[in-house]
Amino acid sequence: MKSPSEKAILRVVVVTGISSIVTQLYTLREFLTLFAGNEYVIALIIFNWLVLGGLGTMAARFPSRATPVALGFLTSVLAALPTVQLLAVRYLHDMVFVHGSSPGFYPTYLFILFTTMPYALLVGFVLPYSLFTLRGEMPHYPGTRIYIVDNVGDVTGGALFSFALVYLLTPMKALFVVNLMLLVAACLLLSPLLRTRLSIVVCAAVVMAINMAGVVLENNSLCSAEGELVHYEETMFGRLVVQKSDGQYTLFEDGVPVFSTDNTILAEEAVHYPLSQVENPNDVLIISSVAGMMGELEKYSLEKVDYIQLDPAVSAVEFRFGLLRTIKGLQVINGDGRSYVRDTASRYDAIIINLPEPETFQVNRFFTNEFFSLAQARLRPQGILSFSVSGFDNYLAEPHRQKISSLYNTVRDRFSHVTMLPGEKVYFLCSNSPVSDDIPELLGQKGIETAYIHSYFYGNINKGRIDYLAGSIDASTPRNTDMSPFMMRIMYAQWFAKYSTSPYWFTVIICGIALFYFSRITREEFVLFTTGATTMGAEILVIFIFQILYGYIYLKVGLIVTVFLAGLLPGALLGQKIRNKSRKFLLLTDAGLIVCMALVIMVLHYGGQSVPQALFYSVALCISVLCGFQFPIALALRGGDNPAAIRTFSADLTGAASGVFIMSAFMIPYAGILWATLGLIVLKCTSIMVVGMSHGKDQQASISVL
Amino acid sequence: MERISRRQFLSCSAAALLAPCVFQVFCPFGRTSARAGEPVDITGKIFKGAAPRELWKFSREGFLYTKLEGNKVVCRICPNGCVLSEGDRSVCRSKVNMGGTLYSLTYGNPCSVNIDPIEKKPLFHFMPKTQAFSIAAAGCNLRCMNCQNWEISQVTPEEVRTYELFPPDVVKAAKKYQAASIAYTYSEPTSFFEYMIDTARLAKDQGLYNLWISNGYINRKPLLELCGVLDAANVNLKSFDDDIYRRLNGGRLEPVLSTFRIMHGEGVHFEITNLVVPGYTDDKEMVKRMCSWILENLGQDHPLHFLRFFPRYKLDRLPPTPVATLEEFRRTAIREGIRYVYLGNVPEHEGNNTYCHNCGKLLVERKGYYIPTYHIEESRCTFCKSEIPGTWAAHSAGDRETKPSRG
Repeated sequence: MKSPSEKAILRVVVVTGISSIVTQLYTLREFLTLFAGNEYVIALIIFNWLVLGGLGTMAARFPSRATPVALGFLTSVLAALPTVQLLAVRYLHDMVFVHGSSPGFYPTYLFILFTTMPYALLVGFVLPYSLFTLRGEMPHYPGTRIYIVDNVGDVTGGALFSFALVYLLTPMKALFVVNLMLLVAACLLLSPLLRTRLSIVVCAAVVMAINMAGVVLENNSLCSAEGELVHYEETMFGRLVVQKSDGQYTLFEDGVPVFSTDNTILAEEAVHYPLSQVENPNDVLIISSVAGMMGELEKYSLEKVDYIQLDPAVSAVEFRFGLLRTIKGLQVINGDGRSYVRDTASRYDAIIINLPEPETFQVNRFFTNEFFSLAQARLRPQGILSFSVSGFDNYLAEPHRQKISSLYNTVRDRFSHVTMLPGEKVYFLCSNSPVSDDIPELLGQKGIETAYIHSYFYGNINKGRIDYLAGSIDASTPRNTDMSPFMMRIMYAQWFAKYSTSPYWFTVIICGIALFYFSRITREEFVLFTTGATTMGAEILVIFIFQILYGYIYLKVGLIVTVFLAGLLPGALLGQKIRNKSRKFLLLTDAGLIVCMALVIMVLHYGGQSVPQALFYSVALCISVLCGFQFPIALALRGGDNPAAIRTFSADLTGAASGVFIMSAFMIPYAGILWATLGLIVLKCTSIMVVGMSHGKDQQASISVL
Repeated sequence: MERISRRQFLSCSAAALLAPCVFQVFCPFGRTSARAGEPVDITGKIFKGAAPRELWKFSREGFLYTKLEGNKVVCRICPNGCVLSEGDRSVCRSKVNMGGTLYSLTYGNPCSVNIDPIEKKPLFHFMPKTQAFSIAAAGCNLRCMNCQNWEISQVTPEEVRTYELFPPDVVKAAKKYQAASIAYTYSEPTSFFEYMIDTARLAKDQGLYNLWISNGYINRKPLLELCGVLDAANVNLKSFDDDIYRRLNGGRLEPVLSTFRIMHGEGVHFEITNLVVPGYTDDKEMVKRMCSWILENLGQDHPLHFLRFFPRYKLDRLPPTPVATLEEFRRTAIREGIRYVYLGNVPEHEGNNTYCHNCGKLLVERKGYYIPTYHIEESRCTFCKSEIPGTWAAHSAGDRETKPSRG
């Protein structure tokens, strides 16, 4: 039977798990509104978090004694830190960086590191410290039980965020709720232990005050000096803000201004460059939009305009603030654009894509060979596909040149005529009928008037510039495909070139630290490290592949994340039940992980969309069950004492951190999905070799890997 | 165990409830200004040891520099005044110290060559409807966070693909394409001063106009030399605040003001461009101060262009400038006394047109680069005969530009 103290401590562990996942996810979203929202930054944020958590775990060895009172007060601090962290991120950003600017790699990394350090270190520290506190009363308390209980908290937190909080509450309010739960758990732990409750009340009051301050200051922390905040909303896809300034409305998505009223240039270019090419356009498909587009579309007497917008909150805001208006034949469809193109029976005279730069795996899906093939199948014989990427003023820099070359080479495989126009953006006009670059002439034939094109086109997009762009294409640049996202590689190169920086030293330092780490860890820890890396890497792969095959469906993606967390629990329970915990179980589970990865490859190669979605959930579950199963085995083989617990927790976290970063920032962009999956298999094979090469009794002191 | 008293409970609860309110009142993090606590200066630094191993064919000895002890040199072209040890590269990235001599690495190797309408510079009061043969080499002495040409301004000459066009070739090409002028533009022509001045001298001899499109960050002596061959200029007055110059552009205000005074004194036609950046230069009081300074030092006849900002380069998280703000600034500047005030990056706006400062009639209607209406004859308003400052093409009243065409 559990003692009151044990119940209270386990309660703290569960709620800490809930709070830490919710805090991590809100912190991630916050950073994405402040910094470039590319995969590199996402991976960096998660990497930082997990590494700092691992370091915090290692620090748990230092206190000579762990007491419930100390745990209680540390937990109280944990209940205040998320709000402090989020406020610090928002306010410090403009103090450290030039307001309105996007900083480069190293400033971004350092800012993320220092603002998340206090919370991430402490949350990593609290987990083993909870175990040591329990072992103060029950010296043989199993470490696996803490791992399991923490998992329960993590899964609950993930599910709570994905399926409830993100819909119902703003970040500060959500943190208030989960931190209140944590504070209550801390108070319940402390309450029977202290002679006077005054200190608990004071502590609780301070924590409450801090959390309430977060709620009170929330809108203030979002306000900008250059406009009035007229709309703020957290949707499942990100943050939406509308600012009003001198009659102009600007829509910000995740901190980036995407739409403004009074911007005729982009609207005219997006609409007229493609539609002027079509004899009598009737049906048009638009994926995402630019402000003012509808007014330009109206000039064509269209029968049907299907407008696909992933986030219903965005389309609602667009119409509410006059960024778009309703026109005849308009139908707004909220959903994934790629899925729609794949599934619809409609045929169109024009498909116009207005998406942001392909800087994430999610957006890259619309710039691949496979998508262009889908789009072509939905076009009428004389139909046209139009999409764009960022423009250049007077010189096409090398990474940009490669990006445009890759897109040109990719789309040219599908369409016999591709013309590029170097306007405010670089527009690709793709058709199987000839495409003219003399847009004013075409518009003149149709009798369509424009404010910008007629007056500026020949000056801004003259023959010389069009020829310069066409002449810059490198036919040898690789194509961009779903399985090999070349755009992502270019995106990183562009990002680093923009700031004249390179990740070289960062990579060297991380590799150096990694080598040092490998020289110090035991075989069992190496297994956990590689399993952590494999599990997180597999999660990214599975989500990526799922999106390609089925589209970005928020709830289903959230479910994959939850399944990856949830499987750890039954795995750990099973592993705990094994009587003779030997290395053979590590080898078997490693082999199981390899089989799962091989299954992923087979799905990619042979399955495609005919593969039922349930298979993805099943693979996710298997991987996380195997990962969870290994933990108690490895812990037991390490001796199960306090230092062993610290090191195994830490190995799991640092492995996960490495998996996220290496997969997102390197393997997928540079090697492609298939080779990235093979890379995980190779990683697991090294783990098998390392464990398999060990000699002597299982319970002997383990030796380091290198 | 001691029970908590009612007083203690109430005191703590009240404290918990009041704390956030007090916090907000005295909150030091209120959003009263976009500028609170930001970094002070983004001025570029010298690149130590970054000179190439050997000079290439696009090198020329620096136009103006001083040799110092220990084989050091100090460049005298712009206020950065880079002091370079052997092997160092300047802030603008185009000059290096090789063996105690300053060399430019941007002589004859433009990375960008285009034919642009002159209105694009923007130059509205100089030879309208003509074409400018526009060239730029890599480099810039500032670090503007919203640079639209950062791909060539914030890189070294070795990092870009270039053409081979030495000064005589530039002039020949300009004539071949029937351009009336050569524009030194896009990046920062001060950073390729040697190339620019030699080309400009040849161009002048051959009857071509020379246009300088610049940030104005140049020293007196080279500027005077340039004024001897210059016909028109558009110089950016990025803000009227030294703090913003350092924070957003990595420069200083006073040298730019000095540039305007010198050009005015030398009688060079120039137009002033001010980019209105939300949260930074969209300050009406600053605009008034700027206008007062212009009137006091330069007079009322130099055209002033307010440009609409769009997010770009590193400054990509601000909204575009509201058109209403630009209109307000235009009205303010006209009220203050500046005669010709234009709006840029706003298509189909009356702020693109030229109106007579005396009778208020429409003199030049601009629809982009297309000019359907032109009522200036012999540099005078055709209605009231007032002199309109600038250099005007020889168009007769009623002469219309045909609809634009590819040509």
